Parts: sequence; C-alpha cells; structure tokens
Amino acid sequence: MGKYRLLLKSTAQKQKSGIIGIFLLVSVLALCLFSALTVYISGTNSVETEMNRLGFGDFTIWTSGQSEDIKEELENIPDVERVSYQPLIFAGYEINGGYSDNEGQLIVYDGSVDYRFINEDGEELPTPEIQTGTVYISPALQSMFDVKIGDTIQFELSHSNGIKSLTVAGYFADAFMGSSMIDMKSFLICAYDWSEIQSVIEEASIADKLGRVGAMFHIFKSENSALSDLEFQRKINESTDVSLYTEFTYRKDSILNYMLLLQNILSGFLIAFSAVLLIICIVITGHSLSTVIEQEKRDMAVLKTMGMSGSGLRGVYLALYGGTISAGLLLGLEFSFLIAELLAKAMITSTGMLIELSFPIVVILPILLGILLVFAAFLFIRTARILKIAPMQTIREATGEKSVKSPLSKRFLTLGIAVRELRSEKRKYIALCVISAFLALFLSVIGKMGTWLGPNGEGLMNTFSVADHDLGVQPFNETVPMDEIERVINWYSPVLETYELAMQSVTVNGQEYTANVLNDTKWFHVLSGEVCGGESILITDTVASELQLSIGDTVRVAANGRAESYTVSGIYQCANGMGSNIGMSLAGYSKIGNITGYIWCYHYILENGQMRDFAMKYLQDNYRGIDVHTNSWSGLSGIVFVMHALIVVIYLIAALFVLVTVALTVSKLLQSETAKMAIYKSLGLSSGALRLSFALRFLIVVFIGTVIGLLVSALFGDIAIASLFKMFGICEFGSGFSVLGTILPLVSVPLLFFVFALAFSAKLKRVSIVKLISENDD
Amino acid sequence: MKKVILSGKNIVKSFGDNTVLHGIDAEIFEGDFTVIMGSSGSGKSTLLYMLSGMDQVSGGELLYRDGNITNASEKELTKLHANDFGFVFQRTHLISNLTLCENIRMAGLIGSMTDDEVKKRADELIARMNLENAKDRLPSQVSGGEAQRAAVARAVITKPAILFADEPTGALNKANSEEVLNLFSSLHSEGQTVLLVTHDKEAALRGNRVLYLEDGAIIGELELPNYSGKDKAREEKLTAWLEGLGW
Repeated sequence: MGKYRLLLKSTAQKQKSGIIGIFLLVSVLALCLFSALTVYISGTNSVETEMNRLGFGDFTIWTSGQSEDIKEELENIPDVERVSYQPLIFAGYEINGGYSDNEGQLIVYDGSVDYRFINEDGEELPTPEIQTGTVYISPALQSMFDVKIGDTIQFELSHSNGIKSLTVAGYFADAFMGSSMIDMKSFLICAYDWSEIQSVIEEASIADKLGRVGAMFHIFKSENSALSDLEFQRKINESTDVSLYTEFTYRKDSILNYMLLLQNILSGFLIAFSAVLLIICIVITGHSLSTVIEQEKRDMAVLKTMGMSGSGLRGVYLALYGGTISAGLLLGLEFSFLIAELLAKAMITSTGMLIELSFPIVVILPILLGILLVFAAFLFIRTARILKIAPMQTIREATGEKSVKSPLSKRFLTLGIAVRELRSEKRKYIALCVISAFLALFLSVIGKMGTWLGPNGEGLMNTFSVADHDLGVQPFNETVPMDEIERVINWYSPVLETYELAMQSVTVNGQEYTANVLNDTKWFHVLSGEVCGGESILITDTVASELQLSIGDTVRVAANGRAESYTVSGIYQCANGMGSNIGMSLAGYSKIGNITGYIWCYHYILENGQMRDFAMKYLQDNYRGIDVHTNSWSGLSGIVFVMHALIVVIYLIAALFVLVTVALTVSKLLQSETAKMAIYKSLGLSSGALRLSFALRFLIVVFIGTVIGLLVSALFGDIAIASLFKMFGICEFGSGFSVLGTILPLVSVPLLFFVFALAFSAKLKRVSIVKLISENDD
Repeated sequence: MKKVILSGKNIVKSFGDNTVLHGIDAEIFEGDFTVIMGSSGSGKSTLLYMLSGMDQVSGGELLYRDGNITNASEKELTKLHANDFGFVFQRTHLISNLTLCENIRMAGLIGSMTDDEVKKRADELIARMNLENAKDRLPSQVSGGEAQRAAVARAVITKPAILFADEPTGALNKANSEEVLNLFSSLHSEGQTVLLVTHDKEAALRGNRVLYLEDGAIIGELELPNYSGKDKAREEKLTAWLEGLGW
C-alpha cells in the first residue's frame, strides 16, 4: 500500500493545479445546485406549512358583501369537511404618495388566526398588542412602496369622510398574499379600528362608498371525497349561491405558485444552470484526466516495468480525482446552506416572509449520490486506458503526429500557426468546444428571456395583461369626470386608441374563472382559432387543459345567477391568475352579466408611452374615486430585478468557469508544447506573437462551440423556455435575434476564453528559450 | 584583418550558487568557422547560448557588430533570432506538426523575408540539402540525417550573419554526421560565419579556429587553415593540440 500512497502523493503534487481547478469547479457547482435546491424545497415546504397553519383551505373564496350565512350553506355540502371564515374590509390605499393598483384587505387581529409577527429580517417577534391607529403589514410592501415602520397608510373608505390613516407598527408573515407577486395585500388592525372603519363604510351611501365589507372562506375538502379539486370547486359553485358574492377564488396550489413565483424563477434557473455546470465539470474532468494520462503514460509504463499493476495505477487516479470531486461537492454542500440563508433573507421583501430553511437531505442526498455516481462511472471509464498501457511499447512509442494541410503566409502567420495546431491536435480542443457550446446555449437562453422580459418587464406585462395598453383608468362612481381625465391624458400624450375592459367573476361549466370582457375584441392576444363574438368565448391554454376543452366545444358560462351556452372560438394568451381566465366580448357577457355598473376600466394606447407614469401620477394626485394603473403590477419590478441580477450572476459564474477551464487547459497545453514554443521562440517568433497565436486557438475553437450553442438555442431555446413558462400560465414564447440572446454570448464567450488564454500564457514570456528546450530534452 | 562580428567580454553565468562560466572573453570573427570544444560539463553549450542571446548572462558584456546586446529587450533579441542568428540543435527540434518544407519556410516567414522570397529560398535549400523526397513528411517520418539537414536549412533560410550549432552531429550516425558537417563546410566556404559547439574531433576539424573550454574558462585557441577536405596533417595538428590540453 505504501507505494501507492507515495504515488498518490507525488501525483497530487504534480497535478495540483488541475486538481485545485476541478475542486473549485465542483465546489461552485455544488454551491449553486444545493443552495438553489434548498431554497426551492424549503420555500415550498415553508410557505405551504405556513398556509396550512394559518388555515388556508383547499381553496379559498374571497367574497364581498355581508355573506356570513354562506358558511352554513357551504358546510352542508357532503364533500366539505369544514369551512373557516375571516371577515375582511376591502379598501384602496396610498403609501408614501403611491397608490396601490389593487385594494388592500383589512383583517382584524383577534388571535383567532395565529399570524407570525416578524422584524425586517423575517425573524419572529413576540405577538404584540395591536394599538389603535396602527397597522401590521407584509414586508413585501417595502419593495412595492418603500414603506418603513412609522410611515402612514391611508385607506380610502368613502368619498366624503373616508380616509383612515394608520401608522405602520411592524410586519407579519402573510402566507396567503404576502408575496410581492400578489397585488392584493393584507393589513392587520385592532378591533377598535376595525369597528370604526366598518361604521364609516356602513354609514356611507352606495355612491359614496369606496371600501367594501367582505370575507375569506377557506373551504376544506373531506378526506373521503372522491372529487378532484376542479370537480370539488365546481360542485361548490353549483350547490351554493357563493358565486353571486365571489370576488375571486384561488386554489391552494395557485396561491402557492404566486407566493413562490420569484423564488421558483430564481431557483429554477440556478438548478438549470447547475445542470449545465455539471456537464462542463464532467467535460473538464475528462479532458484533464485524458491529458494527464497522455502525459504520464511513459512514467506509468516505467512503473509497470517496476511491478506496479495497471489496476493499482488506475486506483491512484480514481482516488485522486474521485477524492477531489467528492471533497469539492461536500465543500459546496457545506456552504450551500449559508448561500441559501442569504438568498432567503434577500428575498423577504419579495416573498413577504422568511423562508424557514431546513436541509432537504431526503432530496439532496440522492442527488449528491447520483452526481458522485455519474462522476465515478465517468472516471472509471476514462481511466480504463491506464490498464492498456503496455510498458515497452509505450516507452518506445513515437509521437504519431499527423500531417495536415493549411496555408502558412507571412501576413497571417500567428493565425496560420493557430489553425495548424488546432487541426493537428483536434482532440485536445473538443472539450473546449463542448464547454463553450453549453455555456453559449445557456447564456443565450437566459438572454432570450431577458430580452423578452425587457428593461421594465414589458414581456411579462403584456403576457399577464388581458390586452396591451399604456394606461388604464377605472372610475368607481358617477362623479368621476372621465371626459376631463381623457383630456388630461391627451395633454401628456395624444391617445391613439382606447377600449374598455371589465374583469368579472364567472363560472365555466361550474368552474370559477375570471372573465375578461372587452368592448373591442381585436385587443385579445389570440393564439389559435378566432376572436370571440356574442355567442362565443376565448379560453386560455390553462382553462383548455383544466376543463379538457378545445376550439368548437360548447360551454356553459354563468354569472350572477344567469347562465348561457357559448362556443369556444379560440385560445388566447393571458397569464393573469396563472391562466385561469376566459375572454368574452361585450355582447357575449351582456347575456349573463350586468354591464351598466362601474365595472369598466378604460384602457388607453398613448402615442408616447413614456408619458404614462407622469399621467398616472397626475391623475392619482388630483382625482378621487378612480384606479389608475399602467400595464404593470407592483411585483413586476421584483421579477425584473431578480431576472437581471440572475443574468449578471450567471455571467459571473460562467466567467469563473471559463477562468478555471482556461487555466487548466492552458497549463496542460503549455506543458505538452513547451518544446514547440521554445523552438518558435528560437526562430525569432516573439512571446507576444506566440501568446496571440496560442490564444487565437481558443478564440477559434470557442467561437465554433459558441456558434453551435447559439444554433441549438435558436432551434430549441424558444421551445424549452415556452415549456418552462407554461408552468406559470404563459402559453407562448417567441424570440428572435437579440443583443442579449445572440450577440452578447457570441462575443462574450469567445472573448472571455481568448482574454484568459492570453493572460495565462504569460508564462511563455517569462521562461527562457534554453530552459524551455532543455525541459524537453531527454 | 578579420572583423569581429560578435564578442563576449568577461561573460559570467551562474545557476544559483553554481558558476558555470567564469568571466570569459571571446571574439567571433566574420566569415570564420569557430569551434568551441571541451569536455562534458565544461560550459561550452552554455557559452553558445550566452553568445547567441538565447539565455541571459549573469555578468559581462555582449556585443554584436557595433551594438551592445547584453540587456537587449525581448523585441530586439527576437529580431536578432529571426534574421541575424540561425540555430541548429543537437536534437533537431523541428516543429513536430509541420513538414520539413514547412519547418524551413516557417523560419523565413518569421524573419523579414516576403512569401515569394521564402518559397524561392526554401526550394533552393531543399534541393541543396537533398530533401526533395522528404520535404512533405513530418519530422517523425524521416531519418535523423534528413531531419538534421532540414534543421540546417531552416537555420540558414534567412541567410543569418552567424549560424550557431550546438552538437549538431551528436545524435547522428557516422554517415549522417559526415553529410551534415559537409553542409556546414559548404556554407562556410560561401562566407557563412559559423559558431559550432562540439566534443567531436571530426566536427572540430571543419573549423578554422578552435577554442578549448575547461571549467568555464577558455584555456586554449588554435588557428587552422580553412577546411578543404580530409587532411591528415590538419588532423594530427588538432589532435596534438587537444592532447596538449589534456583531451
């Protein structure tokens, strides 16, 4: 054993730069993968556990009006195990001069629901006594409105006398609506303020009211129920009058999706990137091992003549590389929890609560073992060559160079030498080509998404909105001077087009959905089929899949106790509510719904879209009784920020991988080409020219790899992204040529390799010709 | 009166604590075939690398023509190696993935010759070195003699002012050695300045000036007439001189 220990030690010493490089790469891989997995799994568990603890039902219905008696009706349904009820007050609000696009829901904190009170870092605090005039909010409002403790929130209850100002006293973890991805936010207030607010609303006339009384009904399905979630929801709508009062309904998985949207995007990308890193690590390890075996085979042959067995020698390399990879994975694993903690803390203002991290050993352990197994199998295969080393044949073996034809001219001498080297030593550069192809593919895909998202999240805005617009104004009563408001908008920028949208709750074949009603149906994003008319509706891919519908099918749409049959005329794109919505024309909806109320939101397309924010600010500051919004939502900036940060982080990790890859490759290549470099130097080729020629090889081969990666991205990138987006209700993704998706990877990947190769080849300048030559003289 | 083309003054070379050259003064004259002889470890190859600027001197001065090249920049040395100095090593050190012809042309391309000049001169040298049949083969596919002849052709394609050679026949058999030495003699007869390091008496006989090195110092110098074929008297003179120095 001693001889193998000695050999292991000397091999490790000799190959230490390669070993350190692989160790670093594998550590980064493990860090990236396991921190993303920890955030993903812990986040899902943490939010779901908290939702359960706070009593979110299998699905929850938000209702408006005094509808407490519905509870009994719901409880009488055989498949319902229990129903819990939380009274609410819906009211629009303003914080620090910013108006919320959506109403807030005020909840009296009476201890019946065990909300967790937290500090800014998400750490749990003792349950406070909520003082009169104070309010507890979700930390997500920090990212949405830059709110701090001590700020005032003004709730709009009625036109005449109805602003209730409450001071922010602290934060609570809201597992239902806490995420910045959900516009509606909960506010915990004391019983006294609740009564006061309720009185103001009750005393206001119908025209004067701005706030509304409502409730959350958490409905739990009986364990014995054979109904699917959809069937269960349908049954509830058919068996009760709840749909008459319903504002909106969310299944637990929908809310969970919204709550976890940001962290799932973040962790999903990191996991996908980790898969790319894993492939790169395998390729680099294989390349490094092959080069080392090639360089060491004469020594190995000599060792064999001294009586060492092939399997023993193989064991040394297996132990060295296997040990390095295992150590790297374990180190990455060790620190991944710290990174996950940092990520979780950084996401509090987006998730609205601190994700309680637990080490998901049940998931991570098999993945870790799987990765180890993949590496072990790979190393086992790659080291098989050691067994085949025949002592004397290897010692006598000639270099076996192949003659290749490529032009050499004075003008392009450095390039000519680079091409010659590449062509005669193709095998040595395949790994670089593969690595650059994978990097370019991933960077291109993420770049495509970044381009689609746009600098301000325009991609998501358009996908989640029913129809494109710059500005939307919804009046809540007859006193709103819409003519004047339109003049104001025109003053900021001429209005090119306008249309009206109403978002109403309906049931489709008994299933609760939001109907997006347009007075001009040309604005729907129709993906297939035709736009809807008076007798037809549009559905999203999500609805088509949930209700097993296709174009031409007939459905029963109901609202306010009236129902009509409609034909599905087409599939359209609207990811709002994770795609749980339908599109209707004004003529179609008028058959079942009331179209005369204040349900319409006026959408404006401006000649100069840049003016929308200024117009919105002016309208918000000067008019009451309206909701003004752009084609955006408050959580969008969070997603845009995370996506942009993710692109930067992924580029940084990619750069680190390129750095280590180049360091490893350069050191091995230079080691094997010392004599050749020395000869070129002795012939009068300057170090600069030699280094340039050396780096040009990287540039050429990486450029080829990058082009391959970009071609694969062009062929399959959109399909891959589209299938990922489908999970979030986004059915269509298309991208074309873009700077971020095409030019940046095309330039950055080869350039990174080139620059690092140029930097690492500096050794050529420092070493004397004689030393370089004599190192290779036997 | 012979003209000094290259001179080393008080050349010292140390590797750590080990001083290999102890303040050598050496002058190389234009048109001479100078041979440096000495026993193994005497420092003759080190002196060659010092004089040629292939390695940095630890002390002393190095003058080429009218210029001091002791502390020449890499750029200046590169220019010298590309145009003014040609090298032939014991191991041919041809570039393994270039054919013999390409190896020869490569040196011309690195130097200041045009593509056309390189092609013309390479063709001439290939013919002269009798390499027509081997020119398109890789170094690993030709004999030692062919490879070394190609190395000589590569060294002289730019018509260098000085041709440096370090044991050029050290790895060759007798027939191949003879062939290579004939090339050196032929080049010298055309005016080529040659500085050759060897421990082979046959190789040394080709020179018209022999310097003997021992323990890092020149201890003897012998002038001979130009080589004009096998000459017993010349051989005896060199042998006697070498024996006098303890060869």
